[in-house]
Amino acid sequence: MRFSDFTSYDLILLAQGLGTNIALFLVTSLIGLLIGLGWALVRFYRVPVLAQIVTFLSELLKNSPVLVQLFLVFFGLPALLHIRVTPVTAATITLSANTAAFVYVIAVSAIESIEREQVEAARVFGITRWQVLRHIVTPQAAAFAVGPLVALLVNQLQVTSLISVIGVVDLTKIGHILNMRTLKPFVVWTVVGLLYYGAAKLVALLGERFENRLRAHSAWRGL
Amino acid sequence: MHFDLSILLPHLGFLARGAELTAAACALSLVGSVVMGALVAIARTSASSTLRRIAFIYVDLFRNVPFIVQLFFFYYGLPELGIYIDAFTTGVVALSIAGGAYASDTIRAGILAIDQGIIDAAEVSGLSRRKIFTRIVLPIALRTSVRPLGSVLINMILTSSILSTITLNELTGSAQIVVSQTYRPFEVYVVLLCAYAALTYLVSLAVTLLHRHLNRDMMEAVG
Amino acid sequence: MLKVENVRKAFSEVTVLDGVDLTIAPGEVVSILGSSGSGKSTLIRCINGLERLNAGRITVDDFDVSKPKELAEARKRSGTVFQLFNLYPHMSVLQNITLAPIEVLKTPRPEAEAIARKLLESVGLADRADAYPAQLSGGQRQRVGICRALAMQPRYLLLDEVTSALDPEMTAEVLAILAKLAAQGTTMLFVTHEIEFAREISDRIVFLDKGRLVVDLPTDRFFAADGGRAQPRVAQFLSRMRKD
Repeated sequence: MRFSDFTSYDLILLAQGLGTNIALFLVTSLIGLLIGLGWALVRFYRVPVLAQIVTFLSELLKNSPVLVQLFLVFFGLPALLHIRVTPVTAATITLSANTAAFVYVIAVSAIESIEREQVEAARVFGITRWQVLRHIVTPQAAAFAVGPLVALLVNQLQVTSLISVIGVVDLTKIGHILNMRTLKPFVVWTVVGLLYYGAAKLVALLGERFENRLRAHSAWRGL
Repeated sequence: MHFDLSILLPHLGFLARGAELTAAACALSLVGSVVMGALVAIARTSASSTLRRIAFIYVDLFRNVPFIVQLFFFYYGLPELGIYIDAFTTGVVALSIAGGAYASDTIRAGILAIDQGIIDAAEVSGLSRRKIFTRIVLPIALRTSVRPLGSVLINMILTSSILSTITLNELTGSAQIVVSQTYRPFEVYVVLLCAYAALTYLVSLAVTLLHRHLNRDMMEAVG
Repeated sequence: MLKVENVRKAFSEVTVLDGVDLTIAPGEVVSILGSSGSGKSTLIRCINGLERLNAGRITVDDFDVSKPKELAEARKRSGTVFQLFNLYPHMSVLQNITLAPIEVLKTPRPEAEAIARKLLESVGLADRADAYPAQLSGGQRQRVGICRALAMQPRYLLLDEVTSALDPEMTAEVLAILAKLAAQGTTMLFVTHEIEFAREISDRIVFLDKGRLVVDLPTDRFFAADGGRAQPRVAQFLSRMRKD
């Protein structure tokens, strides 16, 4: 292979790579959010056995490297079940599950912090647990959790860079390709880094706006 | 479907050596992060606005760019500058710099929480600014930030798995080699996942004990 | 000689010290009285260099505290005891006392520790050398604070409302030590609310009112009807403090 200088086509490659990261980030965040909230519900209703499994699973996912989780899904699952798992499928499964574990922890701590104070009072009036969750806990817990959730999302966006290791052609993989072709690592990794940085800042900014709107909204409702 | 952990038995010694490398890298990087973090915390609490600005940019940048990109930047970039260091050293440098960005926050919070009266007392006793920092401010700040620094260490252990991508055969890298020899990815990666979870669990236990031990003197005696 | 000459100190708009003059000769015990907010503590903080002066001059044995190069020397000559003790929470009692002698005076550790133990013994805390501040009562902490200041062998001891944070019983144990120090001829500048005690140990009493030093008299003259009491502010202050 002959190394050569940058071309304008490389910009399209970089944009495509970043697009892959963002698309995967959006999809897995959404799935992770839904699964994590589902797990939190299991815990809220104290479903026997399932609640324990969910807690254990989230601890395991939180306390092990995402890279190892990726390897387990991408290399391990096909070997065990004799199925085909594409890199994108493996990345989607892993990142969704990983996000879910963190969402679960945030949701549970938010619910518990609100519940302890207020549910007892509400129960006196004979309201069901579902009504308590829907009308009393959820609005406040959401306001409580939105800060940690935004921080989580900023982090998960960065975690998507790991999918390059199992062969998904994302921004980091493009960086690798350009690095090998041009032999200009400083330029390549600086540009790649700044693109990730910009994306992270964008997520943080949007999250902050959303948080402010939520705050303003609940403050207004509080009057 | 076939699941058999016994095939790992002959490779346990090899994996243990990988774990040792992980432990060594993390221990060195923890020291590096605390040093980096302390320096940056000083800069962020200094009177010079330029210094504060530089420190802020460092923290912001290294927290918002994926670690794998930072790692490649150093691994491929440093030789271009004529700096040839091995993968282990590169990994420790990268982990220290990334960890320092997080450690600086907790150390800074610890510094800001110190009672000004204590610093006044040190100042009037004639201690130099440097001595006040190394003998009074830093030890108190480090004690109060043992717990958050523990989280930095746990994150570092998980992040260190990424060092396997620059040919370092730490725990994850060793596991990859075992997979290539046994063709049993599922078993290997399940065990690896649990090993990391157990490792981080032990670290968090140790951190709790250390926190209690170090702060026992600073807690008010009851009664 | 500790000299305060025409010192002015303001925090943004508020003038806290307004042209204060005060001289303390070695061996003297001088008490500073005044209602809260009169600038007493600020004066102490100016003398030990914790606050920068807006005007005037403070010298400790001719070392000007406003000059960075001389401040270190000036600080070696004065020791400060604080209202809230300000002990180093992560160090044992012994370490609290020996830190500055070892680091600043370069006293060898064994010697510094011997001095510290002797000081602790003199304040009745010989058995608490290895305790940590949090394990001590307020009165014990303040006694350690006094030892810490004395360990530097200062020529002037500055005491900033050292009993204000203590209950009466603990106040008594700390005052007993100060009385002993006064009797030994230690030079002291003593900011306090304890009028009776000030009367017992002081050679002179000065009275601060709204940042101005309005009275500076020998102790017996200060309490005389035609002396300090002739000043309406002083009379008012004394009668109010008596009622408490």
